[in-house]
Amino acid sequence: MTDLLFLAFAAVTIGAAILAIEARDLVYGAAALGIAFLGVAGLFFLLDAAYVGWFQIAVYIGAVVVLILFTVMLVGPKKGETPLELKRVSLLAAMLVSLLLGMTGALANATAFPGPDACGSGCDLALFSTSLLKNYGVPLEFMSLVMAAAVIGALALSKTDRGQ
Amino acid sequence: MAPVLGPLQPIVDMLTSPLFLEIVLFPGLLSIAIIGALLGWLERKVTARVQLRIGPLYASPAGGILQMFADLIKLSFKELFVPENSDAFFFIMAPTTGLVLGAALVGLIPFAPGLQIANIEVGLPAFLAIITLSPTLILLAGWSANSKFPFIGGLRALFQQTAYEIPLWLSALGVIMMAGTMNLAQIVDAQTGGWYILPQALGAFIFLVTSVAEMERLPFDLPEAESEIMMGWQAEYPGVLFLAAQGPGFVKLYAFSALFSVMYLGGFLGPSFLPSLFWMLLKTLIVIVLIMLLRSTFPRVRLDQLLRAGWTTLLTLAILNIGITYLLVVGLPTL
Repeated sequence: MTDLLFLAFAAVTIGAAILAIEARDLVYGAAALGIAFLGVAGLFFLLDAAYVGWFQIAVYIGAVVVLILFTVMLVGPKKGETPLELKRVSLLAAMLVSLLLGMTGALANATAFPGPDACGSGCDLALFSTSLLKNYGVPLEFMSLVMAAAVIGALALSKTDRGQ
Repeated sequence: MAPVLGPLQPIVDMLTSPLFLEIVLFPGLLSIAIIGALLGWLERKVTARVQLRIGPLYASPAGGILQMFADLIKLSFKELFVPENSDAFFFIMAPTTGLVLGAALVGLIPFAPGLQIANIEVGLPAFLAIITLSPTLILLAGWSANSKFPFIGGLRALFQQTAYEIPLWLSALGVIMMAGTMNLAQIVDAQTGGWYILPQALGAFIFLVTSVAEMERLPFDLPEAESEIMMGWQAEYPGVLFLAAQGPGFVKLYAFSALFSVMYLGGFLGPSFLPSLFWMLLKTLIVIVLIMLLRSTFPRVRLDQLLRAGWTTLLTLAILNIGITYLLVVGLPTL
């Protein structure tokens, strides 16, 4: 059962991620990104990390996807306009992403993670918060940078359009 | 029990299992639909009373109580069309997904000991996480109609979300700190000694204000604002789809009022001469009527007023509330 669910969530995540990049209409791309995030949240639930899963939904779909949609609707290309071809940039992005993935994988292999925080079934809130703020304080702060990056990106994109 | 129905036995077992009945009848889908329709009637009746009118009257056994069901029949016989040049997929997907999410919210609420569809450990964050999706759907609905007023309404929903979302989560944090758990049923149990409405009075006030903004009800109904942008994001919806666009509002009202009773009014706790379900529904009804009275009492705020209030007053008060709760739970810090 867990294996089947894992396969289903993984398929949804990867399929939606491909759609997010390949969709002709950027709004569909953003919506597909939201579905990919839902798939990731499902993977968190499978790992018995329900708390992280719900925050994945709240932060990534409730805030990041909304900011992307907002920017797309305000400054995105009109319907029927051909999307930009950015071959060189996408090559650079692919290299950077694979570098990042490799580093994350190596780090994850090198680190011994303690057991799951298990907020899926019977959650010790005090222990959970202590470990989150004491042991994982710095990674937590770095994660919150994603939100800041999304806000700054949305602001920058809508500003450039207004200048023209 | 011996299988007497042969191969049909598993199906009959599933159809009569308590969980299935909870999902289908109460507190699940059927009751949500009926309560949603009744809330539409109650809202019109309460607003009418405040304005010294009578309100729905003729479709009755009693006081036009069947008015919403009559409206429902009327709307379902109207022509269903999708506007030209609109994005049909999102136009239909957004309101229907909104209905499903609204029903999911009710599934998290404990209505009586054991009478809860999904008793999960992180119930409170789950509720708030599901609710964050609704402005996205409103934005998509407004965009997909390819029309001016719906699009303005969708963008307003988004601006509004940035104003209320953070104070809403922070005010809920006070209850989590008091109860020491995020499980909604355990939050109710933790209030046996006293409801949280007193120690969390400030948090309850912020939660009520921000959840009214979340439900897009007056005085914060900027995305609809029928006198400014004529129903905003719902303007283009025809027939049954209009019903699907209106429905989540009432389902969210029901779910949020139930959540407010669970968090601050002791949920299903009450004197034992009546069943705990009765107390839960009574408290929910009181909160619902309170929110409806807000609607007929206050004028609509402007968007900039809401944003300023959210980012300055409400956020400051929410952080202050966390400080007060810290002092209540831990006591004065020893130097």
